[in-house]
Amino acid sequence: MNRVVIAPPSPGLDMATGYGWVQSSAIRAGDYLFVSGVLPIDPQTGERLQGTLTSEAHRAFQNLKLVLESAGSSLERLVQVRAMIYDRIEYDALNRVYRQYVPGGPPARTVWSVRIMDAFKVQLDAIAVI
Amino acid sequence: MARREIIVPRNDKLNVSRNFNLPHSPGIRAGDFIFLSGMLSTDPQTGERSPGTMAHETRQTLANMRHLLESAGSSLERVVKINILLYDLLEFENMDAVYRQFFPKDPPARTTCGVQLSAGMKIEIECIALAG
Repeated sequence: MNRVVIAPPSPGLDMATGYGWVQSSAIRAGDYLFVSGVLPIDPQTGERLQGTLTSEAHRAFQNLKLVLESAGSSLERLVQVRAMIYDRIEYDALNRVYRQYVPGGPPARTVWSVRIMDAFKVQLDAIAVI
Repeated sequence: MARREIIVPRNDKLNVSRNFNLPHSPGIRAGDFIFLSGMLSTDPQTGERSPGTMAHETRQTLANMRHLLESAGSSLERVVKINILLYDLLEFENMDAVYRQFFPKDPPARTTCGVQLSAGMKIEIECIALAG
Protein backbone atom coordinates (compact mmCIF):
# COMPACT_ATOMS: atom_id res chain seq x y z
CA MET A 1 0.00 0.00 0.00
CA ASN A 2 1.44 3.38 -0.85
CA ARG A 3 1.91 6.38 1.39
CA VAL A 4 1.11 9.74 -0.14
CA VAL A 5 1.91 13.14 1.34
CA ILE A 6 -1.04 15.53 1.02
CA ALA A 7 -0.01 19.10 0.32
CA PRO A 8 -1.47 21.85 2.53
CA PRO A 9 -4.72 23.17 1.03
CA SER A 10 -3.71 26.81 1.48
CA PRO A 11 -0.52 28.70 2.34
CA GLY A 12 -1.58 29.54 5.89
CA LEU A 13 -2.14 25.89 6.71
CA ASP A 14 1.41 24.94 5.73
CA MET A 15 2.69 24.36 9.25
CA ALA A 16 6.03 23.04 8.00
CA THR A 17 6.87 26.27 6.20
CA GLY A 18 4.99 28.77 8.33
CA TYR A 19 5.66 27.36 11.79
CA GLY A 20 8.71 25.20 11.10
CA TRP A 21 6.95 22.11 12.43
CA VAL A 22 8.16 18.73 11.17
CA GLN A 23 4.89 17.37 9.86
CA SER A 24 2.92 16.82 6.71
CA SER A 25 -0.54 18.35 6.46
CA ALA A 26 -1.96 14.86 6.01
CA ILE A 27 -0.90 11.43 4.82
CA ARG A 28 -2.99 9.22 2.62
CA ALA A 29 -2.51 5.48 3.01
CA GLY A 30 -4.78 3.36 0.87
CA ASP A 31 -8.35 4.52 1.46
CA TYR A 32 -7.48 6.30 4.69
CA LEU A 33 -6.45 9.85 5.41
CA PHE A 34 -4.49 10.73 8.54
CA VAL A 35 -4.63 14.43 9.34
CA SER A 36 -2.19 16.39 11.48
CA GLY A 37 -3.72 18.25 14.40
CA VAL A 38 -5.78 21.14 13.01
CA LEU A 39 -5.66 24.49 14.79
CA PRO A 40 -7.67 27.71 14.54
CA ILE A 41 -5.36 29.67 12.29
CA ASP A 42 -6.07 31.85 9.29
CA PRO A 43 -5.92 29.55 6.26
CA GLN A 44 -4.44 32.26 4.07
CA THR A 45 -1.98 34.04 6.36
CA GLY A 46 -1.33 31.43 9.04
CA GLU A 47 -2.09 34.00 11.74
CA ARG A 48 -3.14 32.45 15.04
CA LEU A 49 -6.82 33.21 15.62
CA GLN A 50 -7.14 32.84 19.36
CA GLY A 51 -10.60 33.63 20.62
CA THR A 52 -13.42 31.95 22.45
CA LEU A 53 -13.77 28.19 22.40
CA THR A 54 -16.70 28.69 20.04
CA SER A 55 -14.82 30.87 17.57
CA GLU A 56 -11.78 28.60 17.66
CA ALA A 57 -13.87 25.46 17.13
CA HIS A 58 -15.57 26.98 14.08
CA ARG A 59 -12.23 27.96 12.58
CA ALA A 60 -10.66 24.59 13.31
CA PHE A 61 -13.55 22.74 11.69
CA GLN A 62 -13.41 24.99 8.63
CA ASN A 63 -9.68 24.30 8.35
CA LEU A 64 -10.23 20.57 8.80
CA LYS A 65 -12.81 20.75 6.01
CA LEU A 66 -10.23 22.39 3.73
CA VAL A 67 -7.65 19.69 4.41
CA LEU A 68 -10.13 16.85 3.97
CA GLU A 69 -11.59 18.20 0.74
CA SER A 70 -8.19 18.91 -0.79
CA ALA A 71 -7.40 15.21 -0.30
CA GLY A 72 -10.68 13.97 -1.80
CA SER A 73 -12.42 13.38 1.52
CA SER A 74 -14.96 15.43 3.48
CA LEU A 75 -16.42 15.99 6.93
CA GLU A 76 -19.04 13.35 6.08
CA ARG A 77 -16.20 10.83 5.56
CA LEU A 78 -14.63 11.26 9.02
CA VAL A 79 -14.00 7.99 10.84
CA GLN A 80 -12.49 9.06 14.14
CA VAL A 81 -11.91 12.41 15.79
CA ARG A 82 -10.00 13.37 18.88
CA ALA A 83 -11.35 16.76 19.80
CA MET A 84 -8.88 18.41 22.13
CA ILE A 85 -10.00 21.26 24.37
CA TYR A 86 -8.10 23.24 26.96
CA ASP A 87 -10.64 22.85 29.74
CA ARG A 88 -13.43 20.37 30.44
CA ILE A 89 -15.71 23.22 31.45
CA GLU A 90 -16.09 24.02 27.73
CA TYR A 91 -17.37 20.53 26.82
CA ASP A 92 -20.90 21.74 26.12
CA ALA A 93 -19.66 24.74 24.16
CA LEU A 94 -17.61 22.39 22.00
CA ASN A 95 -20.60 20.16 21.35
CA ARG A 96 -22.77 23.06 20.23
CA VAL A 97 -20.28 23.84 17.46
CA TYR A 98 -19.28 20.25 16.80
CA ARG A 99 -22.78 19.03 15.94
CA GLN A 100 -23.13 21.67 13.22
CA TYR A 101 -20.26 20.11 11.26
CA VAL A 102 -21.28 16.47 11.59
CA PRO A 103 -25.07 16.60 11.29
CA GLY A 104 -25.62 13.04 10.09
CA GLY A 105 -23.81 9.92 11.30
CA PRO A 106 -21.07 11.66 13.29
CA PRO A 107 -17.66 9.95 13.54
CA ALA A 108 -16.34 8.06 16.54
CA ARG A 109 -15.00 10.67 18.94
CA THR A 110 -13.01 11.18 22.09
CA VAL A 111 -12.70 14.54 23.79
CA TRP A 112 -9.36 15.14 25.48
CA SER A 113 -8.75 17.96 27.92
CA VAL A 114 -5.10 18.82 27.33
CA ARG A 115 -2.73 21.68 26.84
CA ILE A 116 -2.59 22.76 23.21
CA MET A 117 0.23 24.52 21.35
CA ASP A 118 0.36 28.31 21.48
CA ALA A 119 -2.38 28.45 24.12
CA PHE A 120 -5.10 27.53 21.66
CA LYS A 121 -8.38 26.29 23.10
CA VAL A 122 -9.19 23.71 20.42
CA GLN A 123 -7.33 21.20 18.27
CA LEU A 124 -8.91 18.57 16.00
CA ASP A 125 -7.13 15.31 15.30
CA ALA A 126 -8.81 13.22 12.63
CA ILE A 127 -8.80 10.04 10.56
CA ALA A 128 -11.08 9.89 7.53
CA VAL A 129 -11.69 7.75 4.49
CA ILE A 130 -11.21 9.05 0.98
CA MET B 1 -11.43 -10.28 7.16
CA ALA B 2 -8.12 -8.56 7.99
CA ARG B 3 -5.84 -10.53 10.26
CA ARG B 4 -4.89 -9.23 13.71
CA GLU B 5 -1.40 -10.03 14.90
CA ILE B 6 0.64 -8.94 17.92
CA ILE B 7 3.85 -7.06 17.15
CA VAL B 8 6.85 -7.37 19.50
CA PRO B 9 10.40 -5.94 19.36
CA ARG B 10 13.29 -8.28 18.47
CA ASN B 11 15.08 -6.95 21.56
CA ASP B 12 13.20 -8.48 24.52
CA LYS B 13 14.42 -5.68 26.77
CA LEU B 14 12.19 -3.31 24.84
CA ASN B 15 9.04 -5.37 25.32
CA VAL B 16 7.78 -2.98 27.96
CA SER B 17 4.28 -4.45 27.85
CA ARG B 18 5.61 -7.79 29.10
CA ASN B 19 8.50 -6.59 31.26
CA PHE B 20 6.35 -4.16 33.26
CA ASN B 21 3.39 -6.57 33.23
CA LEU B 22 1.11 -4.06 31.53
CA PRO B 23 -2.18 -4.99 29.87
CA HIS B 24 -1.23 -3.91 26.38
CA SER B 25 0.80 -5.20 23.45
CA PRO B 26 3.74 -3.26 21.99
CA GLY B 27 1.82 -3.15 18.75
CA ILE B 28 -0.94 -4.74 16.76
CA ARG B 29 -0.95 -5.38 13.06
CA ALA B 30 -4.39 -5.20 11.49
CA GLY B 31 -4.44 -5.73 7.75
CA ASP B 32 -2.02 -3.27 6.15
CA PHE B 33 -1.67 -1.12 9.27
CA ILE B 34 0.39 -1.35 12.44
CA PHE B 35 -0.82 0.41 15.59
CA LEU B 36 1.76 0.94 18.32
CA SER B 37 1.13 1.50 22.01
CA GLY B 38 2.39 4.73 23.50
CA MET B 39 6.16 4.51 24.03
CA LEU B 40 8.29 6.09 26.74
CA SER B 41 12.09 6.36 26.77
CA THR B 42 13.45 2.89 27.61
CA ASP B 43 17.08 1.76 27.84
CA PRO B 44 17.58 -1.00 25.24
CA GLN B 45 20.37 -2.59 27.31
CA THR B 46 18.60 -2.83 30.65
CA GLY B 47 14.92 -2.48 29.79
CA GLU B 48 14.56 0.18 32.49
CA ARG B 49 13.00 3.57 31.92
CA SER B 50 15.55 6.04 30.69
CA PRO B 51 14.53 9.52 31.83
CA GLY B 52 16.62 12.53 30.88
CA THR B 53 16.39 15.72 28.92
CA MET B 54 13.66 16.17 26.34
CA ALA B 55 16.30 15.65 23.64
CA HIS B 56 17.47 12.40 25.22
CA GLU B 57 14.00 10.98 25.78
CA THR B 58 12.87 11.93 22.27
CA ARG B 59 15.94 10.32 20.69
CA GLN B 60 15.66 7.12 22.74
CA THR B 61 11.93 6.75 22.19
CA LEU B 62 12.17 7.25 18.42
CA ALA B 63 15.14 4.86 18.21
CA ASN B 64 13.06 2.25 20.05
CA MET B 65 10.08 2.97 17.81
CA ARG B 66 12.28 2.41 14.77
CA HIS B 67 13.42 -0.92 16.24
CA LEU B 68 9.86 -2.04 16.97
CA LEU B 69 8.61 -1.10 13.51
CA GLU B 70 11.58 -2.76 11.82
CA SER B 71 11.00 -5.87 13.92
CA ALA B 72 7.60 -6.06 12.24
CA GLY B 73 8.95 -5.40 8.74
CA SER B 74 7.93 -1.75 8.71
CA SER B 75 10.02 1.40 9.26
CA LEU B 76 9.87 5.03 10.33
CA GLU B 77 9.48 5.93 6.66
CA ARG B 78 6.19 3.97 6.67
CA VAL B 79 4.67 5.91 9.59
CA VAL B 80 1.51 7.72 8.55
CA LYS B 81 0.43 9.31 11.83
CA ILE B 82 2.23 10.18 15.04
CA ASN B 83 0.85 11.50 18.28
CA ILE B 84 3.27 13.31 20.56
CA LEU B 85 2.42 13.77 24.21
CA LEU B 86 4.66 16.24 26.05
CA TYR B 87 4.77 16.99 29.76
CA ASP B 88 5.25 20.67 28.98
CA LEU B 89 4.72 22.43 25.66
CA LEU B 90 7.55 24.83 26.47
CA GLU B 91 9.79 21.93 25.44
CA PHE B 92 8.21 21.61 21.98
CA GLU B 93 11.25 23.00 20.16
CA ASN B 94 13.60 20.71 22.09
CA MET B 95 11.52 17.75 20.94
CA ASP B 96 11.24 18.96 17.36
CA ALA B 97 14.99 19.50 16.95
CA VAL B 98 15.60 15.79 17.59
CA TYR B 99 12.43 14.66 15.86
CA ARG B 100 13.45 16.19 12.54
CA GLN B 101 16.60 14.04 12.47
CA PHE B 102 14.41 10.92 12.38
CA PHE B 103 12.06 12.24 9.69
CA PRO B 104 14.24 14.12 7.20
CA LYS B 105 11.79 13.72 4.31
CA ASP B 106 7.99 13.53 3.94
CA PRO B 107 7.28 13.42 7.69
CA PRO B 108 4.11 11.75 8.99
CA ALA B 109 0.95 13.61 9.94
CA ARG B 110 1.35 14.61 13.56
CA THR B 111 -0.61 15.91 16.51
CA THR B 112 1.06 17.27 19.64
CA CYS B 113 -0.49 17.98 23.00
CA GLY B 114 0.56 18.60 26.58
CA VAL B 115 -0.49 16.08 29.24
CA GLN B 116 0.63 14.63 32.54
CA LEU B 117 2.74 11.52 31.84
CA SER B 118 3.51 8.45 33.95
CA ALA B 119 6.59 8.18 36.12
CA GLY B 120 7.80 11.73 35.54
CA MET B 121 8.66 11.05 31.92
CA LYS B 122 8.78 13.99 29.53
CA ILE B 123 7.50 12.51 26.28
CA GLU B 124 5.31 9.68 25.08
CA ILE B 125 4.94 8.81 21.39
CA GLU B 126 2.42 6.57 19.65
CA CYS B 127 1.98 5.94 15.96
CA ILE B 128 0.18 4.24 13.12
CA ALA B 129 2.35 2.87 10.32
CA LEU B 130 1.91 0.91 7.16
CA ALA B 131 3.10 -2.66 7.42
CA GLY B 132 6.06 -3.68 5.28
